[in-house]
Amino acid sequence: MKLTINEVARCLRLPVTTVDRWIRQGRIPIQKSSNGYIVNESALEKWAAMYRLPFSLPKKINTQLQEKRLENLLPAMDRGGVIYGIKGDDVETVLRGAVEKMQLPLASSKEKLYQCLLEREHLTSTGIGKGVAIPHPHDPLPDTFEKPVITTCFLEKPVDFNAVDDRLVFVMFILLSPSIKIHLHLLSRLSFCVRDNTFVEFLKTYPDSSAYFSKITEFENILDRADNS
Amino acid sequence: MRVLKLWRYPTNWAIFRLDDRLLLILMAIIVGNCSGVASVILNRSLLAMSGWLHHFRSHWWVFVLPAIGAALSCLFLEKIVKEGAGHGVPEVIYSVSRYGGLLRFRSSFSRLISSCLTIGTGGSAGPEAPVVISGAAIGSNIAKYFSLNDRQRVTLVGCGAAGAISSIFNAPIAGMVFAIEVIVGEWKSVNIVPIAIASVAGTEISRILQGNQIPFGHHLFKIDLLNVFACLGLAVLAAAASILLTRMLRSMHTISHKVSGPLWLRAAIGGCAVGIIGLFLPVVLGEGYHAVEALIGGRYSQGLVFVALASFAKIAATALTLGWGGSGGIFAPCLVIGSLVGVTYHHFLSVIWSSALWANEGYYALLGMAGLISGMLQAPLTGIFLIIEITGGYEVILPLILVSAVTTTLCHYIEPASYYLKDLVEHGHLLRPGTDARVLSDLNVPELIERDCIIVKQNMLLRDFIHIVQKSHRNYFPVADDKTGNFLGIIHLDDIRPYLFNPVMYDAVFLGQIMNTRVEVVHPNDDLLEVLRKMDVKGLFSMPVVMNNRFVGLISKATILDQYRKELMVQTSH
Amino acid sequence: MDHQLLHIFRNTPVGRETLLQSIYFCKKVGASPVIYVPKSTKFLMYFENDVVQIDLDSSYLTAPETAVAHATELVEAGGLNVAFLEPKHYTASTLPDIPTTFDYMCCPRSVSDLTSKIGLGYIGPRVRRIVRSARFPVLITSSVFKPWKSIAVFFGGSANAINALRLGFQISRVSGMPLDVFTQLENSPPELYRQVVKDDNLEEEMDRYVNDWHFFENKVFEENLYDVPHDAIVVLGAFGHGVIRNFVFGSKMEKIQSTLSNSLLIAGPNYTSIR
Repeated sequence: MKLTINEVARCLRLPVTTVDRWIRQGRIPIQKSSNGYIVNESALEKWAAMYRLPFSLPKKINTQLQEKRLENLLPAMDRGGVIYGIKGDDVETVLRGAVEKMQLPLASSKEKLYQCLLEREHLTSTGIGKGVAIPHPHDPLPDTFEKPVITTCFLEKPVDFNAVDDRLVFVMFILLSPSIKIHLHLLSRLSFCVRDNTFVEFLKTYPDSSAYFSKITEFENILDRADNS
Repeated sequence: MRVLKLWRYPTNWAIFRLDDRLLLILMAIIVGNCSGVASVILNRSLLAMSGWLHHFRSHWWVFVLPAIGAALSCLFLEKIVKEGAGHGVPEVIYSVSRYGGLLRFRSSFSRLISSCLTIGTGGSAGPEAPVVISGAAIGSNIAKYFSLNDRQRVTLVGCGAAGAISSIFNAPIAGMVFAIEVIVGEWKSVNIVPIAIASVAGTEISRILQGNQIPFGHHLFKIDLLNVFACLGLAVLAAAASILLTRMLRSMHTISHKVSGPLWLRAAIGGCAVGIIGLFLPVVLGEGYHAVEALIGGRYSQGLVFVALASFAKIAATALTLGWGGSGGIFAPCLVIGSLVGVTYHHFLSVIWSSALWANEGYYALLGMAGLISGMLQAPLTGIFLIIEITGGYEVILPLILVSAVTTTLCHYIEPASYYLKDLVEHGHLLRPGTDARVLSDLNVPELIERDCIIVKQNMLLRDFIHIVQKSHRNYFPVADDKTGNFLGIIHLDDIRPYLFNPVMYDAVFLGQIMNTRVEVVHPNDDLLEVLRKMDVKGLFSMPVVMNNRFVGLISKATILDQYRKELMVQTSH
Repeated sequence: MDHQLLHIFRNTPVGRETLLQSIYFCKKVGASPVIYVPKSTKFLMYFENDVVQIDLDSSYLTAPETAVAHATELVEAGGLNVAFLEPKHYTASTLPDIPTTFDYMCCPRSVSDLTSKIGLGYIGPRVRRIVRSARFPVLITSSVFKPWKSIAVFFGGSANAINALRLGFQISRVSGMPLDVFTQLENSPPELYRQVVKDDNLEEEMDRYVNDWHFFENKVFEENLYDVPHDAIVVLGAFGHGVIRNFVFGSKMEKIQSTLSNSLLIAGPNYTSIR
């Protein structure tokens, strides 16, 4: 395979000027010809192994980069859907009710999910104030969920969640993520939305899915603009 | 046409691409032959010149001859070839240290001519150093012609030097050892094999063109334990003589610089002085091989005082010739001084303890030579092997080793760097591969700059800065001016940590107020050694790199360590 | 903005013209000048595969006390920051090493001959060696300062010419000046040259930067050179085709440098646009 000098530098995790200097000084087995460099990949690998220098092939670097792009709220919420009118007077009932109505890959995992959510609730309340709660399992469940799912559940009547501001909770966002990183990312975006009082007021009107999703999109755009500025 | 172009890049040929050792061996043969020829030329021209000037020796004005020779050589170097005089072997070592052995083409022949003029007319210098420079320059330029890389070029420079010494002394091992010990500085098989081949090539050429003779006759010495111990005293004397020579050379150099006037005039003055000394003590003139021959053969029939005087005179004459601008080396004078010192010591011993059975004075002359060479060059192996090979006698090896080792050690105590290396060490230019200094000089600031800092403006509010901190990966934030983009200062996360969680301050604080303006900066052209020193003095782990008042990036000790290790690994285990 | 141009200052009126040209060039391409005021006539430049000894002619050492002040005055009048080069390494006490890690270097046509000998048709041997070994392009200035308003690239189809073309694009992009390409048609049609450009993936840049591509039909090259605007900077590669290509400058190059009095920016064979 023909590698260019820039690719070689990336594989060795060195600046191009260093590789260039090593070629001039004869320390790396690459020769300079009149119109470019003669690079022998297998010889380079052997040389790198001999000197214990890191030499990872470019394919690996690309896949590492791909993992970095994280999803935003909208696809996760779309996957989870919106559920209205969850009945219940206390935390356990509304959680059970919500889990029943959720669409999960396997029926048996619903029990497990319910237990996880309850466990987390007992650790400390997921009511973050203004009537919003964010139940989620303490440890991510990568085998159940490949991609993150946020289910928005509107409760029939407000329930006491022992929230931080002692207000009764009227809407739950159940967050299910395959990794802590994704969980934190989504949580941060969600909290940005919740911080805005207009959003909470909007939620209190129990909007339908399309209006709800377009509101979410609006907020995500503001976030993106702030990120890129 | 492609074929014509291809042969100039042998490193790109398929057989040599993975392993260039065969290529270096072939090149070494070529280089060894060429440098051998160069030294034969010098040898022959010296013989011719001394033969030609011989019949002038009876005139009264003969003491002017060295002056004329030195002045001519100076003029030649200055005006015609435009190269400075007397830089010689240190220049080769400097170039090997720093620039992979790049030498100017004119060095291949200029020293040959100039030293021929100086020595042929009677100046007290040796033809070896000029021949080493020529050989090294030939090696370097052949490497340049074939577009070899630095490492290969350094090997070829060593080959050239080895070929030259081997050829002029008919001593292949000495040439090899000298090249590796003094010029290249590292004993690696990748260097040793081509250099050995070049030595052989040089010696062969010399034997073909001049015949296979050992420069100085072989004499058999009977040595017993008493004499072996006595040579310790000789080692001390030889060490004293080398130190005296070094100091005199340096002081002559300084004195000559105080005299105003053109360079050739100074050389002429030095030459005159040598000529005058030579009137009374002809042993000091020229390279002195005849004198050495006589001393080793025990045929030098002068008393203690005379010989002692002669050694001082030779030291003075060498200092005068070389210190005042003449062109040549110190090998041959070392041999002469060494043998004179040896004979002095022998006479001294005979006077003090006349009943003991001292060995022949030639034996002490031999040891004296070894002592001087080892002391001046601080290269004991070269001294040992050279003496063995030029006198063909292996029996004296035990005392030889003793004298060389002791003299080198004694000289090292008093003068930490040898004559060739002194200037280089003083200026920090001696960079042997695999040393800290070498690694630091290879790395440079532009290779270590990290460019992932986010630059902020001085009028930004703390509130907006929080967002920047959110997406950054570093603890340092450089501040630039709004209009000009000039670097104003730097903010470290520690500075704002106390205020990060105090929302009241978000709209009340400008970044210009919390930034640190008195920050030490680094320029991309700075020496890495200097940068590290600044970091150590101030206790910093990162410093901003600023060029033309613009922030370029950050340089941190962590990256330096990473690169330093990689560089060291690549440099040493090859 | 982190490109640097090496300029060796001659403290004479001729040297002033050269420095003014360097300053103008720096301003246009966003480089900063680094000025070396020589203290001795000799210095060494160690390149990758060659060491060149430059013997300056003695006019370079005129009035050293005022040299720094004069140079500073001129550079600051041009609105740039002045930086002086102090050599850090010396091969010998009177032989400093000048680093070769610059991005451009400015030379008059000859550094080692008397000013009177410098004229059209002559490029000194040292300057030639610098061009041959350097990784940076060399700016050979005309004898009088004239601000250039456009860029003229000579394209002959060889690898060196491609380098020169790339250099021309870079200068045009940074300075915003219009770019014209000139090719002398030897025995081949224009399509051949266009094909060469296409093969090197430079077509898009050709369209973006190039104003006009002039093909010279007339066999007498020197007459065609009249078409090159008088206030253009000429960019070209140093070596052309042929067996001895790396020993002597190409024939076109020689003709150009003996006919045109514009400033020349020459890209040597080791010029790479890594930066």
